Amino acid sequence: MGGALRTWFRSKSTLFWTLAFPLLLMLLFGAIFSVSSDPRFDFYVQNQDIIDGQPSPLSETFVAMLNETGVLNIKMVDPAENIAKYVDEKGVEMLLLIPEGFQQSCLTQNASVILKTVPPEVDTSAATVRGVVGQIVEVFNTVTTGQNPPQVVTVQQESLVSENYRFIDFFVPGLIGMTLMTTGIFGAVGWNTRNRELGILKKLATTPLSKLEWIIGVILFELVMCSISTVVILTVGVLVFDLRVLPNIYSIILIVAGAITFPGMGMVIARFVKETDSADAAANAVTFPMMFLSGSFFPLEMMPNFLREIAKVLPLTYLNNGLRDSMVYGNASSALYNTAIVLVVGIVFIIIGSLITNWRDE
Amino acid sequence: MSKEPVIQVDSLVKKYKDVTAVDGISFTVNRGEVFSFVGPNGAGKTTTVEILVCLRDLTAGKATVLGFDVSTRKGQQQIRKRVGVLPQDFNTFDLLTVKENLNYYKKMYDSGRDVDELIRLVDLEDKTKTLYKNLSGGLKKRLAIAITLVNDPEVIFLDEPTTGLDPKARRDVWDLIEGLRDQGKTIFLTTHYMDEAEVLSDRVDIISYGKIIADGTPSELILKHGGKTTLIVEDGGKEAHSVLKKRFPKARLDNGDVLLPINDKSDLPEAVMTLNGNKTNFAELVVRRPNLEDVFLNLTGKKIVDGELN
Repeated sequence: MGGALRTWFRSKSTLFWTLAFPLLLMLLFGAIFSVSSDPRFDFYVQNQDIIDGQPSPLSETFVAMLNETGVLNIKMVDPAENIAKYVDEKGVEMLLLIPEGFQQSCLTQNASVILKTVPPEVDTSAATVRGVVGQIVEVFNTVTTGQNPPQVVTVQQESLVSENYRFIDFFVPGLIGMTLMTTGIFGAVGWNTRNRELGILKKLATTPLSKLEWIIGVILFELVMCSISTVVILTVGVLVFDLRVLPNIYSIILIVAGAITFPGMGMVIARFVKETDSADAAANAVTFPMMFLSGSFFPLEMMPNFLREIAKVLPLTYLNNGLRDSMVYGNASSALYNTAIVLVVGIVFIIIGSLITNWRDE
Repeated sequence: MSKEPVIQVDSLVKKYKDVTAVDGISFTVNRGEVFSFVGPNGAGKTTTVEILVCLRDLTAGKATVLGFDVSTRKGQQQIRKRVGVLPQDFNTFDLLTVKENLNYYKKMYDSGRDVDELIRLVDLEDKTKTLYKNLSGGLKKRLAIAITLVNDPEVIFLDEPTTGLDPKARRDVWDLIEGLRDQGKTIFLTTHYMDEAEVLSDRVDIISYGKIIADGTPSELILKHGGKTTLIVEDGGKEAHSVLKKRFPKARLDNGDVLLPINDKSDLPEAVMTLNGNKTNFAELVVRRPNLEDVFLNLTGKKIVDGELN
């Protein structure tokens, strides 16, 4: 019993899976699903019904009613803003458009507002927001015309995604992002740690091979592994699930950027892991939270604000966003912006990895 | 034959924080020599090798290999091209075959020996396609030595090459090292096995606590520090002891055996005749020549057992 306890306590891997992992799981999911800190959804409103340079009184009343629900975090968009471009640049997922002449149309009882959201099957919060807006319209109709009102205002629902994509089409980019991360980090940490333990790193350090050549070799190898994984995911997606999103040039660049970033990160982690036993635990400790906090499976919008702030510093967030921007939304500029961030992070990790990997004097 | 120094070490010091692993040692290894660094674990053998093959930085002193300074970047680049190193406890890729492993390491160099020739050299022709993980300990070590030779090195560093091997596998490795010596290779060997150093080495330095305490050929060291040849009267007991002690006062009893130092070549026949003349009972007579273990014992007062001081 004593021997077993001591062995258990001294094995970093066992400690991770029996103590750290369940705690991590609890903290992670507890935080993701606890919406008490900020239950509101980001909701963009562009009020185009301007009279004498001011929003019309009825449109302003409508916005005020939306705001009073406490469910929506209203963000007003300048009426002069090109809304299509704005949506692309800001990554807007839910938006209400109050068209010009809204007040006038209310008087003739044929006003409408345009609610643009991502499909509810992609982001469940879209369904909630649709319900909230529908209820507010009913209340607005009642307030403006009395009981049993005719339909003064109606809601036109539009999808922010031009084509008719399904859940799988939104899921696959996140899956690719997650795979790039796990393949890259686990691959680099495992390969480095195991080879150090076998004495292969020490042997290589006595050959003309330089440390940078070794690191680049590891990264290129992981790039090949990531490419194989991506091709397998897409092939099965197309053959089995009739996947409609396919990589374009932007997503391919992003996949390459991701495939060099995460091995770079792995090289940095590997510097601090001495035994193979610890390698898996260390890689899991980094990849597991990142997987769930970077929007691979859950939309970032359903997480509390502090987790969204954490997501902003995780490279996988930008990889996932970029992959969806390029593969689903067809938004090249946003994809390139995310690619640039992933690439810069990747280069930083490779440089740090090269500097701190000390294979000569282990 | 003129001696061409290929490794020159002068007042070498290596410190790890407060611990001095190598304490101002100096030695020279000449081309074509098998030079052994002998001592217990922690004596500073591996540290010295790792400094010479540019795996560690020295703290003080100077060391050159093939004329290149181990402390300069340029020197290190040249050394890495020209030496072959078998690190202590080295293992290679489990899931690559013998030939794939050799090809892997050969790619690290611009030129080198033919891989098939190396496989023949270490007698692994019938294991060419065997995965490394499926080789026995002895065969793994043979492959490791072949990997050390892929760049046809001028100097070969073998750090504890037989540790953990069974006697048969050890002998096989010795044969390989002797073969390399016959090819004129310079070999720097570290070991804590005294018999290994004695059999294989042209010259031996004994290192203890980071300092070299003896240097010379095995026979020189034995002659100088090994003590006398000893006649052992096995199971002679008190009877043989009392018979011999009358003629040889230095005879002593040790666990039932009588040990008699031989000071003069006439001592041996005289001792045998004395025993016969008195019809003394004993199991066997054994003449034991001193060896490097005796040298180490006489110099340090301690034995090396399984690599550790005892």
